[in-house]
Amino acid sequence: MIDPVIAQSGDDVLLEVKDLKKYFPVRGGFIKKGVGTVKAVDGLNLFVKKGETLGLVGESGCGKTTAGRTIMRLMEPTGGTIRFNDPKQGWVNLEKMNRQQMRAIRPNMQIIFQDPFSSLDPRMTVFRIVSEPLVINKVASGQELNDRVAELLRVVGLRPEYMSRYPHAFSGGQRQRIGIARALALNPKLIVCDEPVSALDVSIQAQVINLLEDLQHDFKLTYLFVAHDLSVVEHISNRVAVMYVGRLVELAKTDDLYYTPQHPYTEALMAAVPKPDPHMRDRPIKLPGEVASAIKPPSGCYFHPRCRYAKDICSTEDPPLKMVRPEHWSACHFAGELNLRGIVPTN
Amino acid sequence: MSETIGSPTTTTTTSAEIILRIKDLHTYFYTDIGISKALNGVTFDIPSRKVLGIVGESGCGKSVTALSCMRLLPRSAKIPKGEITFFRHKKNGNGSAAPVEEVDLLKLDTMSQEIRNIRGAELAMIFQEPMSSLNPSYTIGDQIGEAIILHQNVDKAEAENRTIKILDQVGMSNPKAMVKRFPHELSGGMRQRAMIAMGLSCNPSVLFADEPTTALDVTTEAQILDLMRDLQAQLGMTIVFITHNLGVVAQMCDSVAVMYLGRIVEQASIEPIFYNPKHPYTKALLNSIPHAGSREHKRLLPIRGVVPDPYSSIKGCPFHPRCNSFMPGKCDVNVPATVTVDNGHTVRCFLYSDEVEQQ
Repeated sequence: MIDPVIAQSGDDVLLEVKDLKKYFPVRGGFIKKGVGTVKAVDGLNLFVKKGETLGLVGESGCGKTTAGRTIMRLMEPTGGTIRFNDPKQGWVNLEKMNRQQMRAIRPNMQIIFQDPFSSLDPRMTVFRIVSEPLVINKVASGQELNDRVAELLRVVGLRPEYMSRYPHAFSGGQRQRIGIARALALNPKLIVCDEPVSALDVSIQAQVINLLEDLQHDFKLTYLFVAHDLSVVEHISNRVAVMYVGRLVELAKTDDLYYTPQHPYTEALMAAVPKPDPHMRDRPIKLPGEVASAIKPPSGCYFHPRCRYAKDICSTEDPPLKMVRPEHWSACHFAGELNLRGIVPTN
Repeated sequence: MSETIGSPTTTTTTSAEIILRIKDLHTYFYTDIGISKALNGVTFDIPSRKVLGIVGESGCGKSVTALSCMRLLPRSAKIPKGEITFFRHKKNGNGSAAPVEEVDLLKLDTMSQEIRNIRGAELAMIFQEPMSSLNPSYTIGDQIGEAIILHQNVDKAEAENRTIKILDQVGMSNPKAMVKRFPHELSGGMRQRAMIAMGLSCNPSVLFADEPTTALDVTTEAQILDLMRDLQAQLGMTIVFITHNLGVVAQMCDSVAVMYLGRIVEQASIEPIFYNPKHPYTKALLNSIPHAGSREHKRLLPIRGVVPDPYSSIKGCPFHPRCNSFMPGKCDVNVPATVTVDNGHTVRCFLYSDEVEQQ
């Protein structure tokens, strides 16, 4: 069966992920033999359009970070295809590329990490951190390199005079800007943002979010925005994908997903978002038990042991992704039949 | 500690509604690189049987306020000035209203028997990171039971029974098995429930909850908040809820104190804080967060600059370098006094009064 989530590799699509799998072995006992597998990403399907922000959300351990890193080939996928629409080479299958070939693609896909403290080498100056991608790819040298780094720092709102300083001299928000400058250095097309604002204070979060929006507009960037903060994701994303235990459960345009979710798990997430409005106090939807284990997931739909709408079929059959409405997919046997609550829109 | 204005003796009528009164509290940390003035004259009342939220960004002194009340500050911290009065309701068996005893917590020695009797039994605290605040080498049952044995004069078997009852109350599934588990065997949400159970174990009058849900996933967070609201209503506790998340405040609290750089800049009940905020910092905080469910894409309005480091001293109102309503010659010269703008709504800003704080 052809998966409906997959676009027809059209010109407006930049990245297409199909049935992506990433398993980690679990070793135990005295001789550290394999005793199981963590299915961190277990058959993920999604596509990212050029110039859009696709939010990838889910709770800790659902595989969203692993998905982002596997797409970047920072981790080797266990299975599936990752197709990237390279501006020079056209459609390429990233999972088949060797190191040499990946090097030619890498300038077009970059990543921004969550922790601005551990993602910058404390022994490198800001100049070396931001210039490293330019040097490695032999883009610039000498005065030109200097000018380019100064320009990048200005673009992210840092003063070029600071380029000889070390990361410790900067605050969390400024460090995140250094990480963004490094990601921008090679004029990428796609940036995977892995929780880029979760380590920052509220007022600084807004500065970095606005910066990311401005950069997207100015440089026509495409973001895969991995985050757990649903309010931030709603703000920045055009479309949102929800993951649960390594799988995609719902994918839709942001407003559709937030106002009219089509998967019971998304419904529970939306009810749980702490709304900054004392008139919108909701009782949460009780999810019994714990998040399913990625080592021994339940049969059928992974969410069924916690789902209040579950019927017999849910424990036996794995629900396929269904298109419920145009551009709205849900992996639920009863998608479209349930009357699920979303966030009440305000103005 | 010889403040005269509005001293606690005149408040016998209000003491039924107020459980803790904090006055002009200064807490300083003496470190190798200088003095960090974590609290710079914090004054507020904690209303009884309500949920008070303390919000602010990292380093504003919200946790230090709670630790000062608990007398749990590290050795490097000193309290040069201030008063913390605890209106202690003696629990007597027949349920009649016992006279309220006023305890000045700062006069007690941190190691004295009296503060030990209060700490854990009447003032309790739950911490942000359940993994680092639970002892990995004792079972959940032992750790919760410890407080019960200490404060309630019961034997080990009875303590375990009570522990099981509390674990059941906080929504732990299979509490009988849980008392035998070690912290690493529990998930994040379960550990936080164990922390809450520990805080509740002796039925305290005041529970300080320091970012109790920050490390949790959103669905778990919602369930823990719901649980805390239910328990608060059931047990009639006072909760001081410390958080940086305005969404959580809106969901949880009856009133809010907003802190910036060691001072309370605004305090009011929940609705005026969200619908009619007065202080430029409160307004700026509300404008800088994305509001879930908003139909149009509004650009966020960040607060410019960063929170200054605690070793620096800023002349005048500490917020003036980042403030949109900054009035030169005024805000950068004097510190505004706390004034009442509306019934129970206080603010510390020259936009509302020219009154200057007496140093």
